[in-house]
Amino acid sequence: MQTNFTETQLADSATRRSNAILRSCVHCGFCTATCPTYKVLGDELDSPRGRIYLIKDMLENNKVPDEQTVTHIDRCLSCLSCMTTCPSGVHYMHLIDHAREYIEKTYKRRWDERALRWLLAKILPYPGRFRLALIGAKLARPFRKLLPDPRLRAMLEMAPDRIPPASENDRPQNFPAIGSRRKRVALLIGCAQRALNTDINDATIRLLRRHGCEVVVPKGIGCCGALTHHMGKVEESHAMARANIRAIIRELDGEGLDAVVVNTSGCGTTVKDYAHMLRDDPVADDAARVATLAKDITEIMSELGLNDPFHAAPLRVAYHAACSLQHGQQIRSAPKDLLRAAGFEVVEPRDSHICCGSAGTYNLMQPAISSELKARKLATIEATHPEVISAGNIGCMMQIGSGTKIPLVHTVELLDWATGGPKPRSIATALRWKREEKQVFGIEDFRLGRP
Amino acid sequence: MTFTDKQTNNAAAAVSPTSEAELAGFIAERHARAAPIRVVGGSTRFQSEAIAADQTLTSRRLSGIVTYEPGALTLIARAGTPIEEIEAAVAAEGQAFAFEPMDHRKVLNTKGFPTVGGMVSANISGPRRIHAGACRDHLLGVRFVDGRGRVIKNGGRVMKNVTGLDLGKLLCGSHGTLGVLTEVALKTLPVAESQQTLAFHDISVEAAIEIFATALATPFEVSGTAFRSGTAWLRIEGLSPQVDYRRERLSALFRDREIDIVNETDSRMLWRGLRDLHHFAGSNVPLWRILVKASEAPAVVARLNALGGDVSLDWGGGLIWFESSANGSAVRNAAGRGQAMLLRRGTLPNSDSFPPEGASIARLSAALRQTFDPAGILNPGLMDK
Amino acid sequence: MSTIAMPEPDVGILARAPQIIAALESVLSAGTVISSPEETRAYECDALTAYRCPPLAVVLPRTTEEVATAMRVCHELRVPVVPRGAGTSLAGGALPTADSVIIGTMRLREILEVDTANRYIRVQTGITNLAVSAELEAEGFFYAPDPSSQLACTIAGNIAMNSGGAHCLKYGVTTNNLMGVRIVMATGDIVELGGPLLGTSGLDLIGLICGSEGQLAIVTEATLRIVPKPEGARPVLIGFDSAETAGECVGGIIRSGLLPVAIEYMDDVCLRAVEAFVKTGYPNCAAVLIVEVEGSEAEIDHQIARIRLIAEELNPVEFRASRTAEESLAIWKGRKSAFGAMGRLGDYLCLDGTVPVSKLPHTLKRIGELSKAYGLEVANVFHAGDGNMHPLILFNANAPGELERAEEFGADILRLCVDAGGCLTGEHGVGIEKRDLMTKQYTADDLAIQMEIKSVFDPAWLLNPAKVFPLEVSQPHREAAARCP
Repeated sequence: MQTNFTETQLADSATRRSNAILRSCVHCGFCTATCPTYKVLGDELDSPRGRIYLIKDMLENNKVPDEQTVTHIDRCLSCLSCMTTCPSGVHYMHLIDHAREYIEKTYKRRWDERALRWLLAKILPYPGRFRLALIGAKLARPFRKLLPDPRLRAMLEMAPDRIPPASENDRPQNFPAIGSRRKRVALLIGCAQRALNTDINDATIRLLRRHGCEVVVPKGIGCCGALTHHMGKVEESHAMARANIRAIIRELDGEGLDAVVVNTSGCGTTVKDYAHMLRDDPVADDAARVATLAKDITEIMSELGLNDPFHAAPLRVAYHAACSLQHGQQIRSAPKDLLRAAGFEVVEPRDSHICCGSAGTYNLMQPAISSELKARKLATIEATHPEVISAGNIGCMMQIGSGTKIPLVHTVELLDWATGGPKPRSIATALRWKREEKQVFGIEDFRLGRP
Repeated sequence: MTFTDKQTNNAAAAVSPTSEAELAGFIAERHARAAPIRVVGGSTRFQSEAIAADQTLTSRRLSGIVTYEPGALTLIARAGTPIEEIEAAVAAEGQAFAFEPMDHRKVLNTKGFPTVGGMVSANISGPRRIHAGACRDHLLGVRFVDGRGRVIKNGGRVMKNVTGLDLGKLLCGSHGTLGVLTEVALKTLPVAESQQTLAFHDISVEAAIEIFATALATPFEVSGTAFRSGTAWLRIEGLSPQVDYRRERLSALFRDREIDIVNETDSRMLWRGLRDLHHFAGSNVPLWRILVKASEAPAVVARLNALGGDVSLDWGGGLIWFESSANGSAVRNAAGRGQAMLLRRGTLPNSDSFPPEGASIARLSAALRQTFDPAGILNPGLMDK
Repeated sequence: MSTIAMPEPDVGILARAPQIIAALESVLSAGTVISSPEETRAYECDALTAYRCPPLAVVLPRTTEEVATAMRVCHELRVPVVPRGAGTSLAGGALPTADSVIIGTMRLREILEVDTANRYIRVQTGITNLAVSAELEAEGFFYAPDPSSQLACTIAGNIAMNSGGAHCLKYGVTTNNLMGVRIVMATGDIVELGGPLLGTSGLDLIGLICGSEGQLAIVTEATLRIVPKPEGARPVLIGFDSAETAGECVGGIIRSGLLPVAIEYMDDVCLRAVEAFVKTGYPNCAAVLIVEVEGSEAEIDHQIARIRLIAEELNPVEFRASRTAEESLAIWKGRKSAFGAMGRLGDYLCLDGTVPVSKLPHTLKRIGELSKAYGLEVANVFHAGDGNMHPLILFNANAPGELERAEEFGADILRLCVDAGGCLTGEHGVGIEKRDLMTKQYTADDLAIQMEIKSVFDPAWLLNPAKVFPLEVSQPHREAAARCP
């Protein structure tokens, strides 16, 4: 597309990057077809092509965005389905990130909106605060109907039934490899995930060790910065990224690292983008080194291959592709291949490329669209009659798990189980329940979820 | 020079121009006088008495193939070119019109010869229409003279063409009421090197419709689906090994039924007869052509049978031929949501030929006729009652 | 900016904009009318971005009745209406004028009826082309027309433009697969044409509506013919060291009595761009054909063997027949990525002229000569089986004057197509892009009757203004329409 930026505007590296992205877009409209919000709302303004247009107009004219523009850009899930679809390789992620940062700097939101965003940015990335908030939310949940704002209600509803205590494993330490060491990897232990579900990191550590990896939890590692980055709060997000980069570089330049393992794909997408995020930062070179080291757990497991993967029951697994994995990182077959190699029957729901509506804090900020996407996702997943659902991202797990009785696990928990680890907690619970039901009602087939 | 031709069935002398310009001049002159014209091609089909015109115009002397490019699957011919001439020319290259136009002479007991212009004007399509589409689907372009005497071209000679409004479709099946075709461009296709027919005997209409629906849902490109007197036929065509394979697969699909196989030449003969309705030849009883939704054919056939007469089915049940002396309104009632058109023979009133149209469609159609032919001189009374 | 003129907007309408918007809002459900300038801007163009103009308002109805209501208001207030599907037109078919209201069909997405016994599907037309086939997947059927944009383009747009696709050599284009439509007339009246019957005894109005580029009515529902899925399909890739030989091969295959579902052509410029983008492993040569055949495994093998005989007479650089699904994907990958790959090289104009298959080599040669004369590179990638060419003229939209030069070059190519016995557009439609070239293909009378037909459907000339018919040719009709009560 033709663009209209002045030389002065192009002196700014973010604008220069956005100009290059806009120039590569031919406005063909393919992206509209796979955009979840366009599917729900049917207005081009709520599609990538419409947003690209809004962003172009805003950036070219140095506009203070109006409320509508902000609304349409806020509605973007950043699921990046459009990037998978785009035939011309338009890097929508960098463009929308730039737009969010620009809006955060130039647009004054209403007080309640600002308060909400401030609150989220101050709580979610900090597991200690988040755990306290979850306990509070659980207590307040019976009164949620009294809340006027659907976003606040969504927050209370999000609190899980079981809030686990902090895991010892998430403290900085080294876990030696079992058997001879094949790799030395750092684990990004994340933030919200540590408060919501400690089983994922535990299973990851067991799985990696069992496959010859020394697992390091570096001192000073924490939130990757994605949550605040997607709100356009770049100061916070860059500070968090920088802290992570320093923590990882210390290990890398010390005993060395073969990879930084990420088991929350939303974070993986961000860490892999550190080089771009911090391109103008003093730590730019280190950021680039860390970005290339980042690997999703399924990527590293594909490299290592599964040892003796026959310990689990051969359940029918509906694999939910997290957008950050399938679109953000373009990892599609690795998780399914691993699950199949581990003896599971893998099925995929129709429209697997469409987001479940979780998208970081999206389910909290845009509850209406989010719950519509959730309902659609649940319907397509349940239509595959799975015994268990697996996903590679905590956000999706919370979103989907809150709407179904089918047990839901992280892919890594199934791989851990199959290679000798414990049965994942939610499967164990569901099986126990089913077995009791069988004894009581004499149901023959205790496999879960079969029609 | 205007040449009059006494060979048409019509008693009055027919004008038969030898050039497009001459034809245009003739129509312009009639237009100026608002003098109606009966437009005919080779006069092999009905001559509706409903047309209130004392002058017949035929395009049969605008004859000859203009271009035929086998490698591009396209043929351009003047409107009066006999179909026989075209069929011979394209057959020499192993090609044909895939829509298999029928020849009405035997069943309607008419003389003359079918012309390519007449075929297009009436959108004549035979049994293969179910697979390959109708005449209108193979029409690439037209030249015609409208009711004011303007020479107009539309479309072209290439297979894909979306330049401007598609008037070819509109002219195709307009029975000369919008304009007189002078030249048509059509798509030709390779003739299949082999064909076989599966025959199912002693079955009901219901069973036939079910067989057709099942067969047409397979990927075996069934290109003929007809039924008559308790026998249903399925035609398969293609490269020789392909036809054998398809026959095997279809036979397996209908393994519960007894199937006779009709091979090559016999199959071709069979479909020629079905196409031209040889089974209804030699009678003077009125003949109806009824379009229905295939799944509704059994019910329609039952109602038609109750009126007395004889039916045969084509197009998977989507086309019912009905030979009967029943009156028009009874036939139309029996047709239900279908469209019944009187092809003629016998003595039913001519006003029965075309079924009535809904109000909005009738209004649009009338306005279009008015646009093409403001003086209302082209086959007046035929489609507009 | 560019060379094709749009008429001056009606200042009277612009002055009444608030009343028009209020009138629409008063009869349509909330969230249906978009009118803020920030928001209408996103609707200022389709996939032909060289031409842009924000509309007065955008209406996004959810039902046929809402479309009719919006049309009735616009008709009463004498406001032009621009129909819009997914906005993927490469011809500017959905380009608004400043005094027009866009009526979009994108929220009309229901599947209304699937009837496999009678082989049709009835849908609201805002559904995408590919979504129709997806709906039929489990039943073993598909909807055959497959324009390259089938992922995103809507059935409404397909009908408006009579869209084709790679596989129309065997299955035909939209008009050959359209059995019925429900249309909203310019006045807001709803009319049903056709349906499950295989034809009509009256005038073929569906044939007229199909490809009418939104000049006659808005199509809100359609009955579409559906086709059983073939047992399988596999392509062969054939490389040649000259465009002429590739052209000969196309003719040879067609004459042989085979009927491939697709014959696609890519030239060396395109091959290089695609190779750089997706690493296809295509041969490095002057022209590549991709020929796809359908059937059972044995049938496919048999057809491929015949194609090999024809190709080998012509000494191909490479003949690669796919044996597996993966190999098929690898062969198609480059072709499917062609437009994206070209987009990476810069801006492009995508043309759509069609020539008789026998004139392909000559036309390609002349395009090459013109490319040198204009100093603009051109890549050729197209449906060779039906002569539908898609020359892509590469230019830099940010460089002053280049768009105009590219347009001039494009116009020369289209004139070349018409002179070769072909036409201006094979499947994209005239839109505004080819509007002013219509007189090259048609005489005054040819165009007059088309405009008279438009007047039958749209007496006030409010539908999709300034498209299809050259402005100076349509002026008397538009003036007469302005006087019409």
